[in-house]
Amino acid sequence: MSTTKKGLSTLALAALLAIPAIAPVHADTLKMAWSQDATGLDPQKQTAFSSIRLLELIYEPLVRLDAKLEVVPAIAKSWAFGDGGKSLTFHLDPKASFSNGEAVTSSDVKASFERLLDEKTAAAARSNYLSIASIETPDPETVIFKLSQPDVPILAAMASVNAAILPASAIKDGSVGTKAIGSGPFMLKSWDPNASEVLVANPHWAGGKTGVDQIDISVLPDETAIVAALRTGKIDFALLNDPLVATMVPKVSGLKLVRTPSISYNVLQLNPSRKPMTELKVRQAISCAIDRKAVLDTAALGEGKVTGPITAPAYATDPSKLFCYKPDLAKAKELMKEAGYAKGFTATVIAATGEPATAEAEAQVIQSELKKIGIKLDIKMMQLNVYVDAWLKADFDMAVALNGGRPDPYTMYNRYFTKTGNLLKVSNYTDNELDSLLNQGRVETDPAKRKAIFAKFDLHLAEMAPWIWLFTPDTYVAERSDVQGFVGSPMGSLFGLSAVTLKK
Amino acid sequence: MNTLIRRLAAFPLVLLGVSSLVFVAIRLVPGDAITAMLGTQAGLLTPAQKAALAAYFGLDRPWIAQYWHWLRALLHGDLGISVTYGKPVLEVILQRFPLTLELALLSMAIALVIGVPAGVYAATHAERRSDLVLRIGAMIGQSTPSFVFGLVIIYVLSAGFGVLPAMGTFTPLLKDPLANLGQLILPALTLGAAFAAAVTRIARSAMLDVLSEDYVRTARSRGVPARGVIWRHALPNALIPVVTVSGIEFGYLLGGAVIVEQLFALPGLGRMVLDAILQRDYALVQGTVLFIAFNFMVVNLLVDLTYVWLDPRIRARG
Amino acid sequence: MSLLKALFRHPSGRIGATIVLVYLLLAAMGWIGLTPHDPLAQNRIARLQPPSARYWLGTDLFGRDVASRLMTGIGQSFLIAFLSVAVAASVGTVLGLVAAWFERFWDGILMRSMDILLAFPAILLAMLVVAVLGPGTWTSVLAIAFVYMPIFTRVVRGPALSLKNREFVDAARTFGSSTGYIVTRHLLLNIVAPLTVQVTLALAWALLTEAGLSFLGLGTQPPAASLGVMLSDSRNLMEMAPWLMICPAIAIMGGILGFNLLGDALRDILDPKTRVARA
Repeated sequence: MSTTKKGLSTLALAALLAIPAIAPVHADTLKMAWSQDATGLDPQKQTAFSSIRLLELIYEPLVRLDAKLEVVPAIAKSWAFGDGGKSLTFHLDPKASFSNGEAVTSSDVKASFERLLDEKTAAAARSNYLSIASIETPDPETVIFKLSQPDVPILAAMASVNAAILPASAIKDGSVGTKAIGSGPFMLKSWDPNASEVLVANPHWAGGKTGVDQIDISVLPDETAIVAALRTGKIDFALLNDPLVATMVPKVSGLKLVRTPSISYNVLQLNPSRKPMTELKVRQAISCAIDRKAVLDTAALGEGKVTGPITAPAYATDPSKLFCYKPDLAKAKELMKEAGYAKGFTATVIAATGEPATAEAEAQVIQSELKKIGIKLDIKMMQLNVYVDAWLKADFDMAVALNGGRPDPYTMYNRYFTKTGNLLKVSNYTDNELDSLLNQGRVETDPAKRKAIFAKFDLHLAEMAPWIWLFTPDTYVAERSDVQGFVGSPMGSLFGLSAVTLKK
Repeated sequence: MNTLIRRLAAFPLVLLGVSSLVFVAIRLVPGDAITAMLGTQAGLLTPAQKAALAAYFGLDRPWIAQYWHWLRALLHGDLGISVTYGKPVLEVILQRFPLTLELALLSMAIALVIGVPAGVYAATHAERRSDLVLRIGAMIGQSTPSFVFGLVIIYVLSAGFGVLPAMGTFTPLLKDPLANLGQLILPALTLGAAFAAAVTRIARSAMLDVLSEDYVRTARSRGVPARGVIWRHALPNALIPVVTVSGIEFGYLLGGAVIVEQLFALPGLGRMVLDAILQRDYALVQGTVLFIAFNFMVVNLLVDLTYVWLDPRIRARG
Repeated sequence: MSLLKALFRHPSGRIGATIVLVYLLLAAMGWIGLTPHDPLAQNRIARLQPPSARYWLGTDLFGRDVASRLMTGIGQSFLIAFLSVAVAASVGTVLGLVAAWFERFWDGILMRSMDILLAFPAILLAMLVVAVLGPGTWTSVLAIAFVYMPIFTRVVRGPALSLKNREFVDAARTFGSSTGYIVTRHLLLNIVAPLTVQVTLALAWALLTEAGLSFLGLGTQPPAASLGVMLSDSRNLMEMAPWLMICPAIAIMGGILGFNLLGDALRDILDPKTRVARA
């Protein structure tokens, strides 16, 4: 192991490594990487971000959300509510067709929604579409959803790959989870789970020609290695989760970072069914004690924005108007005293390892913040699946979480804070006002009035402090400078890849 | 010969133990395939939906019934179906195994090529400066956590030299030997460094032991040239502990190098079983652990047979 | 005492023992709070500071002093290493002695059980233990102990088996010595040497395994940190704040080096065969 030997072997090594690098690559192939792979191919059933990212490139719903979270055409070219919000009619794009060349017809739409609503399919998203009473198909290009009650949020809820339109034939022969035939910009050519997948352009896509012919996706679990691979040109484009890694990207020559503010939110969920979080004053004291900006600045290097409960820009309230968003230690201590906890108490906070990347750091800042009002917090890091198990059973005092946001506040929060919400068992908090405001917002069709209703909801929820909303993170895409045209989305979608081109 | 039969007879027993241990352990971990697939959204499922998924993942029967079913299938050579890959478990394993095997072989080759000569050299120059340098080098190699070594290699190569091995997909040896080697050399070096260090230390101390034995001294006093004594007489005997150590290490490596595969994004056995645990792909975890345990036992047996071959004294006793 | 003297006379023993003693001293200072700063105190204005006169080894993401955390981290890592090896060695030794003493049935049962544990991929075994019990100091101890126990059982059983059939044991038996007395007095005492060597080597491996577990997110719970946790927390900051990786990496390597040198020296001193080789 002399130094000369080492030097020689390094040389030989460099030569060896360089060989695969000069092998010819097809010019219109985008080499891409992410750290987490999809877990399955059934668009109606998969809920993990990592799966949705992939499936959004292969499948299409009736409508899509654009970068401003407005509903825009996808398979449907136009739509209208009728009957006082109790019916919703879609006119399909006649050009829309599946990757096998068959046109997307109203019967495919009907079959897809019937599958989604069938309990045997076991689609978690089903709960968003329960107001659908029947589906009518007067002609191949028209679909009418009859609703059991006025349901304005259902339109935005349909702009999800969980409501993707599948070929009726694939539903019939049960090949949905295995064959991946959709009407999106790309087709899945091969998939080796947790290792790689190859996407090729769908020649039948109604949206026209994609910017690249092929996308080779590699799963690189370590994000530092992703940056190294970008740096050396082994990959062109990557999804990054950890702000610590992402913020390094702009410092590397030849690399760009695309930041997109997200509407998902980092939150400290309190469990109001556990003492002493049962006490409003204790929860409010926690809200007043935590400096949300400090959590953001330390855990995420300031990458993101302090947020209230509602995160979609169209409905969000200015955080400075929300209860105790300006940290107030004196008030926090006063509230603790009034609640009978002047000496503080001990509690446990759970967080998932690496999910999100900032979870552990958030927990540590919160721990240090709450110490100031005498709350001794123990941190329990858990592997994601174990965490989910505890979360679903509400088996925690407090939990650090990153929850997905929705463009419509009703869809986003009815599951947690209405009296019939199916995650009420996790949030353990609702009151008459929250329940009635959400239900008013659901049936109200006038945009201005809806906005006012949800603004009231936002203020009230922050004041009741069942959870402590912290910040919305940025989502990151790192790309080499010859990659052009990617536009991110507040939902984190990679649909923008359909327009990406490679400069030669 | 008797020993061999006895050892082989113990195989099924040990494998049965391994399989029941992994079967219970993986089910004791909170969370299941449903929560792995849906995350917190699993809370949105209705009871009927939950039942449908449980039936799909085969979670609706009691453990004993599941185990019995699995064991019966195993006797027919069927390891079950992986829910993540949608393929038979054995097929998934055999697809990932070549990489792991190649990586293990390459690391061992690196370790032996560096470690044995270094160890012999150190032993013949015992307590001199070169010996000290080699020993300290070996100890540093052995005391560096592999992920530190890997991270530093990746960083230095990419930032300093602008090169990096291909990551994510694996090029099989037969398809493109050069690309294959280019991809595996760094991970193999990362693993081989600690391995080589271990071999160096063992080879050195074994060599020292042998050099002090009577027959070596006799040969020396009879005027057999030093080089001849070392290579012809001493080395074969000194190799026995080296074989043990590299055999055991090789056996471990066949189980997949979780951390190095993670860093270099290699689709090997280690990462696969890690992902399978995280995704609660029970059949895949059970099948892979069984496969790894079986390989480990085979390697151990081979190591023992090599002793007999290397050491005539054991052969005589055999 | 004579052992200590012999250790300090042995060249690598001297270095090894010194390193381990220095680490123990640092760990003790960390335990009683004799650190330059509070290792847990966050300081928002001094985040990610490079080493300076105020912060000798710089600060981390939370503005905590790395030098102070390193001291408590050494304590934490050593605690895990010592406890896990203590558990593995004592349980493993008892099982090895039992197997050797009773032979036949018990030997078969015990050694096959150990084969099962050995054939189980080590890191997976540790991972499963952590996954079932939830991460934490005690779980890490148990997980690492589980992996090393079978090795100790094997190390003890072999020599114990051959000692058992030696004349002096037979003699003791005919003189009516109790089984317990024979096992502890004659068997255990005679395998102390290989056991001691194995213990020091296992300590080195335990430090390394702990780092590996931490890399997979299964180690000590924040805000306390072991060396392994400090190291794995630093990986995404490697470029931004290299000192965060360098310091714990060197600390781990130093610790392992210390134990290894100590182990080698002990082997030389305790094993008569190598002593001859040196002479």
